[in-house]
Amino acid sequence: MNRFLAALLLAPFSLVAADTNNPLGNSPEVVESGRQLYNETCTVCHGVDGEAGDRAPAMGAARRYAHNTEEEIQQVVLRGIPGTQMPSMGLSEEQSWRITAFIRSLRAVAADFPPEGDVARGEEVFWGKGECGQCHRINGRGGLLGQDLSAVGGSMRLSALRSALTEAKPHPPLGFRPATVKTKDGKTIRGVLKNEHNFSIQLLGDDDRLHLLTSDEIASLERGDTSIMPTDYDERLTEQEFRDLVAFLSRLSASKPSKSR
Amino acid sequence: MNMARLLIALLAATSLAAQVSYEDLVNPDPEDWLTYGRTYDSQRHSPLTQITPENVDQLEAAWIYPITSTTRLQAVPIVVDGVMYVSAPNEVHAIDARTGRNIWKWNRTPAVNRGPERGVSVLGDLVYVSTPDAYLVALDARTGSQVWEAKIAETKDGYYSPAATFAIDGKVIAGNAAGDYGLNGWLDAFDAETGERLWRWYTIPQPGEPGHDTWEGDSWKTGGGGTWLTGSYDPELNLLYWGIGNPAPDFYGDDREGDNLYTESVVAIDADTGKLKWYFQFTPHDVHDWDSVEIPVLVDAEYEGKPRKLMAHADRNGFYYVLDRETGEFLHGTPFIDELNWATGLTEKGRPIRVPGVEPTPQGNFVCPSTSGATNWMSPAYNPATGLFYVAVKEGCGISYKAKQEFRPGGFGFMGTGYVESPEEPWQMFVRALDLTTGERKWEYKQITSKQYGAGVVSTASGLLFAGDDQGFMTALHAETGEPLWHFNTGMRISASPISYGVKGKQYVAVAAGVNVVAWRLP
Repeated sequence: MNRFLAALLLAPFSLVAADTNNPLGNSPEVVESGRQLYNETCTVCHGVDGEAGDRAPAMGAARRYAHNTEEEIQQVVLRGIPGTQMPSMGLSEEQSWRITAFIRSLRAVAADFPPEGDVARGEEVFWGKGECGQCHRINGRGGLLGQDLSAVGGSMRLSALRSALTEAKPHPPLGFRPATVKTKDGKTIRGVLKNEHNFSIQLLGDDDRLHLLTSDEIASLERGDTSIMPTDYDERLTEQEFRDLVAFLSRLSASKPSKSR
Repeated sequence: MNMARLLIALLAATSLAAQVSYEDLVNPDPEDWLTYGRTYDSQRHSPLTQITPENVDQLEAAWIYPITSTTRLQAVPIVVDGVMYVSAPNEVHAIDARTGRNIWKWNRTPAVNRGPERGVSVLGDLVYVSTPDAYLVALDARTGSQVWEAKIAETKDGYYSPAATFAIDGKVIAGNAAGDYGLNGWLDAFDAETGERLWRWYTIPQPGEPGHDTWEGDSWKTGGGGTWLTGSYDPELNLLYWGIGNPAPDFYGDDREGDNLYTESVVAIDADTGKLKWYFQFTPHDVHDWDSVEIPVLVDAEYEGKPRKLMAHADRNGFYYVLDRETGEFLHGTPFIDELNWATGLTEKGRPIRVPGVEPTPQGNFVCPSTSGATNWMSPAYNPATGLFYVAVKEGCGISYKAKQEFRPGGFGFMGTGYVESPEEPWQMFVRALDLTTGERKWEYKQITSKQYGAGVVSTASGLLFAGDDQGFMTALHAETGEPLWHFNTGMRISASPISYGVKGKQYVAVAAGVNVVAWRLP
């Protein structure tokens, strides 16, 4: 099996960094140095930090890539792709491996390449200033309306995790769409839709209860177009707090070990 | 106002009473179905009366909910205030019980493929499920979010946990399965809030304990005794009743001389301490794999002129038993099948009077009932108004074989060979109504073409009995006469016990049929 795929499959159950064939390893230092090199070398065509650029695609987008293994990526970084606009940039072997570590980190789940930061401070931000715990749960603690984040680092890419905190999405996923319902017997219930159809809705209310209503019981239903998840964490938190929060979330990759004795 | 901001603002400090209290479990709302047998006494009798013998012929399908990860669902759904919880191996689904729409789904990862799954229990805001990798998992009832998990047994040893979990006051009881693999069973009680294990009771007595000498030599070490279904509970006596599975190797008893306690028994366990209060063994030294896991049904009724706390149990071995559940005293026993050749009756103490020469042999030996049993884990029901005990019955014999086998650790079969259906006459399923105290047959309903066990029954206070069968039919029977009044072909073999519940004044009947949960109601 492709090692990268293997790492992805194993990621949710593993707290350690993924296996690597990279002779430099894949520590945060190597990844960070690779990011700096990448931003100095590749951003004429590709975007900064692996984003899409004017002339070349993003390195960590949710799409299929032609070059997936570390060896394949490293060879492309070192030698370019003959017959295309992707040139050799005259990098050393070592530099190419650093950039490879960075590119792979964009594609792996966050727990594979957890970024640096003060994890304990990040946890404080989660439950405190960030108010994340009002909607989200980790191992049974926290709110109900948002996704359970007990294993978020093992299931999301780092880039997706960062963007979830900073970029508004047009459509909240099924199960998390905000809605306000007025029932024919005069109640108003706010919450998120766990499911809906023409004939019934299943709403988790902000009273932490499920409200299951058929269409003949509903006077009006107002759906929110955007998630109730704030996406301005890069503004409401300091840069250090944001980094610490991401470091904390990235390391959430398995549910708590058994409590039996 | 921005809805997001509004919601966030409203989120602060919402702390509500839990959905299901222990008091609810003791005395459930008539519309709810909160435990495997609806009530702790496992009578499987719904107080709802909207669907009656007069109108049941108008019953129509309300919805169908597929769970396609499995071929034969075996779980009993639980219904709390309009939300149905159904489990399959490694999965729990929360369903809108009026519409059949999904609310949430939980998957266990990585999923181990081992054994069936028989149901969840609920307490507070948590839903409890046991898993094929032998864990007990607590989920938030509103979102399916996992709150904790606790290990019941080692997966790598070969254990798994298909048992329906059983919630009592502050505790969740979990069983396990591995008797057919020569692995010894136990019952665990876990703290319902934290998952901390509170006590463990071993089904095979350890050295120095009473009953240990019912095992020859070291045979107790691989004695089996699974706890793979679920139990009943008497809150007043604080006793938990649980049926125990077969001894191992199942068919080869030569190396385990003795009664082999507490296999093929029902045990009464103090719910606080996990200590054995009493036991009653139905089949001492069993060699036919007649697990005694069948649900103990608890009834307070008059017996020989005196009010008594009774337990009724139809055993896989073909006898129907009435016990005193305070003491375990045997009161009465009688066959509930016509073809029973392994015993001529029961002694005053309830011990079978064995017929020699029906044990399994290397060449195969004829025995009635067969190993698949006169009944099995599908649930019986009791209707207090009719005084009848309703049970799914299989008539039919088998050929049982034995062979010496070496135990292999790690979850490998240790059955000492097996059985086949008798070629002389095909198996046949019935629903039978027995008088509670005498076991006398009042009526029977023959399920033509049905020969495989698995489908149980549910009774309603309006005088109906709903029964499934292996042809996929759900049939409504008159509780007094057994006359069929309505039927529906679900199209898939039913291997689970039905329930009846209500939502906002409307009564439903539901069952897991094949890969579908199907619900019916009046128009």
